[in-house]
Amino acid sequence: MIAMFRLALFGYLGLTVLYFLVSIYSRSTQREELEKEWDAAQGPGERDDYIAAGMAAYEKGLRKKLIWLVYVIPTLAVIAAIYLLNFA
Amino acid sequence: MRYVKWTFFTIIAVLLFSFFHYTLPQHDIVRVVGTENRRIDFGENSFFWASPDVGTAAGTNRDVRFINAEYPNGKIIVYRNEDTGWGWPPYFKLDSSNLQAEAQALISNDKANPTWVSVTHYGWRNEFLTIYPNAITVTQVEGPDVRIIPWFNIFFFIVLAGILLLLWRMWAQFRERTIDPTLESIGDTIDEIDDRADSLWARFKAWLATWRGKPRR
Repeated sequence: MIAMFRLALFGYLGLTVLYFLVSIYSRSTQREELEKEWDAAQGPGERDDYIAAGMAAYEKGLRKKLIWLVYVIPTLAVIAAIYLLNFA
Repeated sequence: MRYVKWTFFTIIAVLLFSFFHYTLPQHDIVRVVGTENRRIDFGENSFFWASPDVGTAAGTNRDVRFINAEYPNGKIIVYRNEDTGWGWPPYFKLDSSNLQAEAQALISNDKANPTWVSVTHYGWRNEFLTIYPNAITVTQVEGPDVRIIPWFNIFFFIVLAGILLLLWRMWAQFRERTIDPTLESIGDTIDEIDDRADSLWARFKAWLATWRGKPRR
């Protein structure tokens, strides 16, 4: 069982790194999108305010929550593999 | 230089190919002719053996289960049947005892009326190192000519391509949004320092010039 916990520990450590990388990437693309939207329309309001409001909406939005799939999908894949390869 | 470059790329490509060829699952259609247990003392080939059954202690040697089989063309193949447990490669195989029983139930020595099975395995058989492919699952199939589509491998390479694409996009985004602006501002700063140094140098030269004698008439 120790081997399993070791795998889980290092596995989730690796996924945590991936989680942060994907979060940073997703936030960056969101900001770029907002900047381009404002630049194309030259409004509404001030550029910085528009981007700040958009980023605040992003922090509460669905897209940010979906990044948790970084943990969920590999966990389900491992459970499915254990079931299919040993007990199916 | 060109030869060095191509040698390097060839070595990398061969290593990658070997890695995937060894690790990814493959299917053999065979007839199981027998099973056995042998004690194996792992030597310089220990790299190519998996782990002891999950929950049992690791020693310098142990009994390993083997499955002997024959291809439709009469060539033989020997599989080992070891747990991979929680280690590498990630097959999470915990059921080697059960698999051995399944293989024993499918033994078919009646050549007139053979039972064909598909053995999913990874690894290589190599006589020089005494290594064997590790059997993962055994399923009965209708005949020696059934076509098995490697769905897992197709899926695996699609996912791998997706992950590489994601990493590449992440890097491109990081470079575009973080590194390039920083380099630009560093460049601007260097230009400013350069300008200031130039003007300092000009003032220094002007100061030096004041020490020169007046031009002779």
